[in-house]
Amino acid sequence: MSPSDLTTDLLFWLFGAGAVVSGYLVFRTDSMVRAAYWLLASFAGTGALLLLLHAEFLGLVLILMMAGEMTIMAVFMVMFMMNPAGLNPMTMVHQHKVAIAAGVIAFLGLGAVGLLGEFPERPLPETTSVDSARITADLGRELLGESMLPFETAGVALLATMIGAIALASRKGRFGTADAGSAAPEPPEEERRRREHEGSDDGGHHHHGHGHDQSHEHGHGQDHDHGHGHEHGGHG
Amino acid sequence: MSLQALLVVAAALFGIGVYGALSQQSFVMIMMGLELMVNGAILAAVSLWWSSSGGSPEGQMLAVVLMAVMAVEAAMGFALVINVYRIRKAEMTEQVEELER
Amino acid sequence: MSGVLWPHSIWLQAAALAGFVLGGIYAADLMERLLGRYVAGAGVRAGALLAGPFREAALLLSQQRSRTERPDAPAWALAPMLLAGLAAVAAGTVPLGPSAAVAGVDSGIVLFGAAMALVMVCVFLHGWSANSFAPLVGGYRFVAQALSFEMPLALVLIAAALPAESLSFGEIVRSQAGLWNVVRQPLGLPLYLVAALGVTFQGPLATPDAADLAGGTRAEVSGAALLAWRLARGAVLVAVAAVGAATFLGGWSGPWLPGPAWTVLKTLALLAVLVASRHLVARVRLERFVVVAWAVLIPLALLDVFLTGVFLL
Repeated sequence: MSPSDLTTDLLFWLFGAGAVVSGYLVFRTDSMVRAAYWLLASFAGTGALLLLLHAEFLGLVLILMMAGEMTIMAVFMVMFMMNPAGLNPMTMVHQHKVAIAAGVIAFLGLGAVGLLGEFPERPLPETTSVDSARITADLGRELLGESMLPFETAGVALLATMIGAIALASRKGRFGTADAGSAAPEPPEEERRRREHEGSDDGGHHHHGHGHDQSHEHGHGQDHDHGHGHEHGGHG
Repeated sequence: MSLQALLVVAAALFGIGVYGALSQQSFVMIMMGLELMVNGAILAAVSLWWSSSGGSPEGQMLAVVLMAVMAVEAAMGFALVINVYRIRKAEMTEQVEELER
Repeated sequence: MSGVLWPHSIWLQAAALAGFVLGGIYAADLMERLLGRYVAGAGVRAGALLAGPFREAALLLSQQRSRTERPDAPAWALAPMLLAGLAAVAAGTVPLGPSAAVAGVDSGIVLFGAAMALVMVCVFLHGWSANSFAPLVGGYRFVAQALSFEMPLALVLIAAALPAESLSFGEIVRSQAGLWNVVRQPLGLPLYLVAALGVTFQGPLATPDAADLAGGTRAEVSGAALLAWRLARGAVLVAVAAVGAATFLGGWSGPWLPGPAWTVLKTLALLAVLVASRHLVARVRLERFVVVAWAVLIPLALLDVFLTGVFLL
């Protein structure tokens, strides 16, 4: 075994074990931001393995993609989870034994296929060393040559996803703002009329909750174009 | 670094992803499990390309399509999570157990 | 000609790269002080100016480190070190001379892009880990900014890779032997500089560490940790300037001086532009400017790619 083979094996075990361990730690950490970044570490391990397999471009693109995606996931964790920093440790799992059994069965099944299957032996064509520039150039020619249909379909699918995600997640819709559902319920009619008579605020127009006056909201919503998730309280 | 070892690592990543997707209560954590599964799939695809394809670039094409799948799944998943939260004020699977609020 | 002066051992190359980056950090700090005093109308004393960065470093090292309540200590300590590592990787992709770069992979552009994407992770961690309000806001602002400016950055680098038919910086420099990319692709360098300002949060886009956030992500850091953070930021700036010099200004090519000297001069020129933007350009409102990034810079970068492709055919 030449020294470079030994180095490659060592690096493979290091990155492979690192990817699996950090993937496991994703579900063991209390802090949610750390969970997102353990997942990034797992992807970085996979990316490093891809670099070892001479798929340089794919490995680096994986790391690039996952850096942005995991940061977005960290931001979403903070938005939606009740314990983002893990300061109050709690376990939130359901059907734990079923899940462990399913995971183990999946691992054993796929591992058995990997260990016992007969795969053809056609390694990458070696000249003196494997030429990664040629591999990337081959991928480029393939993307725009033989495999142009899958490539363009993936592109159109990504475009459809972008449009769909914006349509689903945008704040202003045809029927009012999107957080009308998550606003506090409006006060009942009598209370509102009573408050108007008392004259406590400015005529009772700017109560909590956006949803009850649609036309007012439309006239209002035009100049709030920032749209980066700023929650403008009562009326912005 | 043999094909068998790489496929075992990919299977381990996939198994952990299955465990996470089935056991977590929060939507975002379920998505992390799904991402791990696709991670394992990408590793398996590229290892098979490295060992059994003779350098044909279609193996890398599969990995590119898998990365596009990952991006699509993440984007739509986040958009749906936001929507479910807005409509039902729910961020965990247990909170959307009933059909009608 | 340049092969005579360029060491071929990898350790000597790495040491030369480290010297290049550290020298660049020092030069950038000097330029910023000089320009600051010029803009303020104050005089400059040469001795005080040259010793200024070292005195500030000594002052920072003697400061006490501040603590916050329940910070994410490992992540907080990791952030400056990871930033410095990313800067080293990014600077390593640039060939300082005609021989290959220290980290001269064949997909150098993608490695640089991945390093810049991970810079976003670093700054977010730096802001999040302090468990305090101002750093957290700074970290979030930077996530919005970095996501918006990464796309134009990647696109102009791809446009520069088209004539070279390769993703490695060595090939890109060699493809400029006839004509520099700054002339061939006029949209490239201005877009690259704006995107570089965005990704390395300098000058008008210095949002995460801004004064209006009481220092932002570095509000709760002091002492040696602050020195490490500032050094890492300087290293990222030098790496970005070096990549810009290699991609648009022709890297090591030039008439009389040896190759590495030209690289140093061109990097210093771009560093001067990036640093000068801090004093000569007003800070922009980020909420408005990310709209510019998505709606103006990305179409311009796509136009750059399109025009380059058209001229190549």
